[in-house]
Formats: sequence, C-alpha cells, structure tokens
Amino acid sequence: MTRPNIVFDEVNERQGVFHRRAFLLGGGTGLGLLALAGRLAQLQLLQSGRYRLLSEKNEFEFRLTAPPRGLILDRDGVVLASNRPDFRLLASRDEHTDIEDLIARLGDLVPLDDVRKRRLAADLAAAPRRAPVTVTEDMTWEEFARVNVRAPELPGVTADMGELRVYPFGGAFAHVVGYVSKVTAADVTKTGPNSDPILLNPGFRIGKQGIEKSYDLELRGKPGGEKVEVDVKGRVIRNDPAGNLPSTPGETLRLTLDADVQNRALEVFGDDSGAAVMMDCRSGDLLCLFSAPSFDANAFVKGLTGAEYRALAEFQMKPLLNKAITATYPPGSTFKTMVALAALDKGIDPNRTYYCGGVWFWGGRAWHCDKAHGVQNMEQGIANSCDIFFYQTALSVGPDPIAAVAREFGLGKTFDIGIPGQKPGLIPDTAYKRRAFPHDPVWHPGETPSMGIGQGYVNVNALQLCVQVSRLANARVAVRPRLVHSVGDVVQPSGAAAPLLSVNPQHLQFVRAAMASVVTSGTAAQTAQLGLGPVMMAGKTGTAQAHAYKSGHGEHGAVGAWAERDHAWFIAFAPYDDPRYAVSVLVEHGGFGAEAAAPKARELMRVVLLKDPQVRARIVQPMPAAPPPTPALDQPSHPSDAAASEPT
Amino acid sequence: MTASALTQPGERERFAVKLKSIDWTFSLALAAIAVAGGAMLFSIDGVKWAPWAAPHLALFAACFLAMIVLATVDLRIWFALAYPIYAAGLALLAAVAVIGRSSNGAKRWLDLGPLHIQPSEIVKVGLVLALARFYHVRSAKTAHLSWRLLIPAFLIGAPAALVARQPDLGTAVLIAATGGAMMVLAGLSLRIIVLGLAGLAAAIPAAFLFVLKGYQKARLLSFSHPEADRSGSGWHIIQSEIALGSGGLLGKGFGLGTQSALNFLPEKQTDFIFASLAEEFGFIGCATVLLLYATVIFIGFRIAATAHSHFGRLAAAGVTSTFALCVLINGAMVMGLAPVVGVPMPLLSYGGTVMISMMVGFGLVLAVRVHRYSEVGSGRSGLL
Repeated sequence: MTRPNIVFDEVNERQGVFHRRAFLLGGGTGLGLLALAGRLAQLQLLQSGRYRLLSEKNEFEFRLTAPPRGLILDRDGVVLASNRPDFRLLASRDEHTDIEDLIARLGDLVPLDDVRKRRLAADLAAAPRRAPVTVTEDMTWEEFARVNVRAPELPGVTADMGELRVYPFGGAFAHVVGYVSKVTAADVTKTGPNSDPILLNPGFRIGKQGIEKSYDLELRGKPGGEKVEVDVKGRVIRNDPAGNLPSTPGETLRLTLDADVQNRALEVFGDDSGAAVMMDCRSGDLLCLFSAPSFDANAFVKGLTGAEYRALAEFQMKPLLNKAITATYPPGSTFKTMVALAALDKGIDPNRTYYCGGVWFWGGRAWHCDKAHGVQNMEQGIANSCDIFFYQTALSVGPDPIAAVAREFGLGKTFDIGIPGQKPGLIPDTAYKRRAFPHDPVWHPGETPSMGIGQGYVNVNALQLCVQVSRLANARVAVRPRLVHSVGDVVQPSGAAAPLLSVNPQHLQFVRAAMASVVTSGTAAQTAQLGLGPVMMAGKTGTAQAHAYKSGHGEHGAVGAWAERDHAWFIAFAPYDDPRYAVSVLVEHGGFGAEAAAPKARELMRVVLLKDPQVRARIVQPMPAAPPPTPALDQPSHPSDAAASEPT
Repeated sequence: MTASALTQPGERERFAVKLKSIDWTFSLALAAIAVAGGAMLFSIDGVKWAPWAAPHLALFAACFLAMIVLATVDLRIWFALAYPIYAAGLALLAAVAVIGRSSNGAKRWLDLGPLHIQPSEIVKVGLVLALARFYHVRSAKTAHLSWRLLIPAFLIGAPAALVARQPDLGTAVLIAATGGAMMVLAGLSLRIIVLGLAGLAAAIPAAFLFVLKGYQKARLLSFSHPEADRSGSGWHIIQSEIALGSGGLLGKGFGLGTQSALNFLPEKQTDFIFASLAEEFGFIGCATVLLLYATVIFIGFRIAATAHSHFGRLAAAGVTSTFALCVLINGAMVMGLAPVVGVPMPLLSYGGTVMISMMVGFGLVLAVRVHRYSEVGSGRSGLL
C-alpha cells in the first residue's frame, strides 16, 4: 500500500486554514461593498444637491442673444436705419480642434479667399474655447440652406440667422446718422457699458460714428438669453424656450431731419464737395445736415478692406469728414450781416454812404472789391456785397462789437445736437489777440477790414451759419439747433426754449430787408429766385478766399486748381414775410457763392416749402370745385362686382 | 468514496440531478445583473437596442446556457484540463506581445481568423485552475512556506507581467491580486503575507517613478486632485461623480440621464456604466445592484467552503475573488475612491470577452457546487 500524498490530518489542517481565510476574505469583500455603499450614500444622499447643480451646468448653457437695434427715423417716421436678417456661418474650436483642417473644410462649404482664411485662423486662435467666430455673413438664402444641411457634419460649425444694420438711403445720412461696425479689441472696456459680454457675441456691432455712436447705448437695448441643452462638444441638442429670457430691443430714435430735404441735398451736390444745413427757424429743428461727397454707410457695416478705406481716406474731397460741423471755413461776405448789425447797434446811420471805385487805399496798401459799385449805402452794401463799404464800416465799429454780435448769433459756438465732432471755429477780437499771440498781443487796425468781410481770423462751420441765419429770421429768440426729436417716448427739449436776442428788432428788420434785396436785385438775383409766386426767399452770398492770391496762385471765382478756388457760401431764410426755414450751403472750393451755393439753397428751400401745407396754401391756387364722382365711373374699380353682375 | 447514504451509486451522475443541484439563486442573481446592464446599455445611447443592449443580452443568454452546461462537467475533467488551459492562455498571451493587434495604443487582441481573442481573459480562468490544481496535491506545510511556492509565484508573475506590458494595468493588477488571494487561501505563511504587503507598499512609489507610462501617472495623480486638470485627466472622475451625485435617492429616471446621453460621461458603456446606472436609478438602484453582487460573492464563497475537494474549494474561491475584486475596483474607481484603471463592472459593462471569461468561471463555480461531494484524485490518477 502506497502512502497517500497527503495524510489525513494534513487534509484537515489545510481545509481549516482555507475556511478561516475564506471567511476573512469574504468578510473583507463585504466590508468593501459596504464602503462602496457608504460612498454612494455620501454622494447621492448627502451631496446630491451640489452635484445636481453641476449636472445642470453641464447640460444647459445660457447663450446671450443680441437685442434688435433701435430704429432711427426722420421727422415723418421715414426709416433711416433699420435691421435686416443676416444669414451667417459661425465656427468655434475646442481643445481638440485642428484649426487648419477646420478652415480647409469650411472652404469647401463657402468660398473663402486666402486673406479671409488667414484672418479666420487668427480669429479662431484668439477666441476662447467654444466661443463662436463669424466665418461668413450675409449669405443668400440658397447658400444658407445648403450650409445649414451640411454644417452639422463639422463639429463646432453652426449656421444661424442674425441681424445686420441697414441704411436704406446709403450715402445721404452717412455723416449724421453714422454707422455701426464690428467691435474691435479697443472698444471693449473692463468696466462701464462696453464691458457687457454681448459685445463679444459674433457679429455684434456698435455705433462708430454720428448718432449711432453717441446714442449707442439707447439704440443697443438689453441682451436676452437663450437656454440651450448642449452635449459635451458644445453642440446644441435642443432649446428650452421656457428658460429663455427675451431681449429688450433698443429705443427708437426719431430725428428732426427730413428725408426729402436730405436726399435732395445729395442730388443737388452731385460731384461737388461741401455741406448743407437747414433748420426750422421757429423751433430750431434741423431738417437737413448733409456733407458732400458722402459714402455708403452700409459698406462700413460689412467692413471695408484696407484698399477701400484708403481710397476714401485719401480722396482730396475728404468724404469721411463731416463738413457741416467738423470743418471750418472763412464765412466771407455772409459775415457782413453781422458787421451791419454791429454798426446799427453802435448808432451808425444806415444811410451813410461810401464810394466804391473797385479799390480803396488805406494803411499803405490797396483793398480790393469785386467791381466798382459806386456810391453805396448800407442796404446796397449788403445787396451788392460791397467789400469797400464794409472795410470802412468795420473800421468805424471795431472788432469787439462785431465779435459780440457774431457770438450772439451762434458763431464761434458749438451746439449740443448729440453728435460728436463739432469744431467751434473762431470769432476773433482784441482779447483773442492778447490770448493767442503773446509776442504780438495787439489788435492792429489793419486786421479789422479783413474781419469786416468775413476773412482774416474768422472761421465758422456750416451749422453755425445756419444758426446765425435762423436767429436773424426768428428775430426774437436765439434758437438752438435740435437734431434728436425723441429717444423712445422721451421728447428732447425744443430749441425754441432759448434766451431772447438782445439786438434791436428794427435793426434786424433792416438787415432782413437788405437780404431780400440780395435775391431780388443784388448778387443772387439770377440764382436764388424760388419761383413760388408770393413766397420769397431772403439770403446772403459769400465767396471766401481759401488762399492768398499771389504769385499766380488762384483767382477770384471758380478758376484754377480745385484746391485753390474760393469757397462758395449762401445763407437764406424763407418765406421772407413769414420766416419758417433757414438754410446755409457751403460749396468747398466752389467759386462764387451766387453761382455755386445759391442754386443749391434754392432747391432745398423749394422742397421744404412745398411740403409745408400752410406755405403750399399760399402758392397753390384752389381748384374749381370738382363734380361729385358718378356711379358709372366708380364701377370698374370693383372688378369682382362687375364680374358678378355680368350674367344679369 | 463519501457518497451519502441517501443516494444510490451513480445517482449524482444523472444530468437531471446535476441540473437540480445547480444553485439557482446564484444564477438568477447573475441574470439580474446582466439584465440591469442591458437596460442601462439600452438607455444611454438614445434609448435603443443598437449598438450595445441587444448584443449584450444575446451574448449573456448564450453564456448563461454555456455556464449551465459547464456546471455539469465533472470536476476531474476540469482538474485534468487545468494546466493545458493555463498553458494555452500563457502561449496566446506571449503571441499577443509579438503579433497582437493594436487598439488605442495597447496590444491586447489576437486575431485568429474570424476569432478576436483577448488572451488575458483566458489566462484569468486558466490561472485559477492551475493554482487550484497545484495546491490540490500539496500539504498545508508546503503551502505555508517552502521553496515550491516559487512555482505558483511564477504561474502568477508570468501572465501578470505580460499583461502589464500590453499595457493593461487594470487586468494585470486583477491577475496578480487573484493569484495572491488564492495563495493566501491555500495557507501562505502570515509572515510572507505581511512582508509581501510591505514590499508592495514600498514598490508603488518606485513603480510610479520608473515603470508607469505618462498617461498612467496622470490618471493616478488626477485621482488625488481631479480639480487640477478639469478638462484633461481629471475629467473622468469629475464627470463620474457628477453623474452619481446628481442621481440622488431615486435617480433621474430611465432614459433621462443627461451625463451619459450628452456624452459628458466618458466610456459610459464600459468602465463607467455604473455611473450611468447611478444617474438614472439613484441610490436605490445602486444599492439593489450592489446587493446582487454581494449575493453572488457570498454564494460563491459558500460554494467554495462546502466543496469536499481542495481543488474545488480553491477554484470556486479563486473565481469568486476575481469577480469580487472587479466589483470593488470598478466601484471604487467610479466613485472616485481609486485611480482610473481599465477594470469593467462585471456583467454590467458592455464587453464580450470579459463576459465570456466571467461566465466560464461561474460555470466552474457551479461545477464545484454540483460536484461538491466528489473527491478529485491526486496527480494523474484524478481522471477515471
């Protein structure tokens, strides 16, 4: 009998060890499972609130939605700026995105040139993770539909519908309404309204010029939010409309401008450079604030290429400059109205005459006039714009009284019309010389004759001249210009709520009568007739020297190189007997005021006068009473009725 | 032989009797876990059968039948095949290292014609069988402490090293831990156990510095500080804890788990299926599934304890230990208590090979139960 491998007691021993240790191991496993259950209880029972929040934060994203930008209307409610749908393609990256590959595949979807691709790569690299970047905008509906079908193949690429600002009149309002364009890094601030995260939304635009800039916050509105369920890649799985927060649209802005007048200004300026400003001289409402040449504001919304921008910026007629308020020019002979008022106020007899022989020798030099006017009194001096009359009148008044009257009529001042960029120009006086010329602080008598004809140091802008003629026409109140009629429901204070003019009304009436003579028999007799029957315009021409005429450079009028010609001015109000509207027109380097500026002023005036029902009633002869419409004539206008009655 | 007086000779060899003596509570618990897994796989990908739920349940059904059939296989046959199975597994494992297919940077698969085999899973069962056979013919004294213990140490070390090289750290740890548990059950000297544990504790920092690869280190580090890299290596743990915690007591409801549906939960169908379950069924659902696992483990150890043969005891205990370790490691990983290692939740997670090896193992456990009164001969005389 062989001995078994393992004797019996040993078998028992190893069985015992096994049982003891299996019991311990099983118990250990049980303890492990209990520990797991304990951890589960900790996570699921004690801390579940915290994790539930985290889970929702994972699941839902709150995406900002841009509010519709407020409309900008003219005084009659004509839309000057509104919004249109914009089909666009957005892309975002996450930590796994290969930007070059993404752009190559986007290139298959929409046409992208190399410049655009480089810019897009830079935009994507700079954008935070999962923040969408605009790939292309303003797609056609067909492109949008095609892209929308294929976009889900590309992670992080979405097609959506935004809004794009549109300016229906293109160039006519570009300077005054301004434009919006894309937010740049410099626009975003750490605090204040421009720290709003909505600025980082793709395609969001803010006002960069004009009304769009100065009323940006009012027009912008308040962004809303969209609650969307997203997956781990940030793709939207579904919307949760109940969780949406509607955006608040921007305020509607109503301007005092009149689209008809403004558009007419664009037409009459044609290729000329200059500005036209029109006011209601009773209320101060600006009906026209136009600068030529203009540009298409819609191009700025989309973004100009460098070449396009350079072309605009470097053109010698400076289309980007708002010549109505930002550029100043010598007022020329339009300033004679101020000199005349100062003279009358000083007690100078308007019937005092001076002889004009075409040239006047004084102070050791020759002072010229356009032509030899002969003997001139004050009214003739204004009507014929005789320089020799006003050289001497100015000398007998002195610079300070002239400057005081000019300032009372708004020259040398800026006005709070709500758009940036006004330049005050300059109305010089002895105090100015003391202040500005420390080495020669004396007003020399030889400087006064130049001031008397609106040259020398005198510089004004077109808005100031319009204010000046408005106050002349109003004769009572120093009206202030108003551009913004109302913001939302809040009507802005009227320009008529202003201090009274301190000038003697009789003196004003004298100057106004002289301005009427300008149109009837004076310098603008050929060019400023309204042709509206009894409704007459009164005005004053101005031909301002842009350069000293010497060594062959320049000559009076519209001759020589464009940049060396005279500036043409015309200021006017109408109707003469019941002043309602005042206008100032500047044609930069346009030559004679009567030839270049007066016809434009006349055309603008005709538009506004014919829109005014009370003025129209004076012009239009009442028609003889029309016979009542006959039923027979009425019938064909209802074709359905006619068809129904046919079988009978 | 120790045949009971209540049974006729040969009575226990009848198929119907064998079927009757299968532990049906155990089998039903396994089925319940697999069905829960199928339900989760159905839910997490948009509430549909494809691509996971249907294959999972179909494979389980097939494996369940195979388990019943294997349960009727005589323990002596298991005993005889122990070394061959182990040797085949080890050979295939060695083959993987040479001609294996790479997937996700790891060589784990062997393509043999139409068959895709993960040899580490064959080795799991083979190792349990081989160790059980080794100790079956050894005395308590030998098992306690002797030079012969170098053999089981080699039997464990060789596959563990090969699997770790693939690299599949989770399975390697599982193999080593299972083998260690069997050596302990077989009666390893306490002194060696203490020394071994101390050595392990000392080896971890060294392994961390010199052996582990970059991503493995990142996983281990992020386990201790998941917040340090939220979108990188800490992501798994953070998202898993969010899924668990947001489930609360009752869960978000079947098919309503957002963490898994929106793919915030990584590897939601395999390693992190338990987190999906926790999100949709809450603490109640998790506790129920853990109870099912506890039932399986308890019955597994009871079957081991009631077996008359030492081979049967060790084999059943070994399979049960593997299973228990899987549950504990995966559970701890999902709950943020252990580093993320690729160990699935057995029967709940999607994954064919793991399920097959697990169910073959349970076939062995049930075979031990069915043949609990059988003696297994020693050495070559075992069979016949």
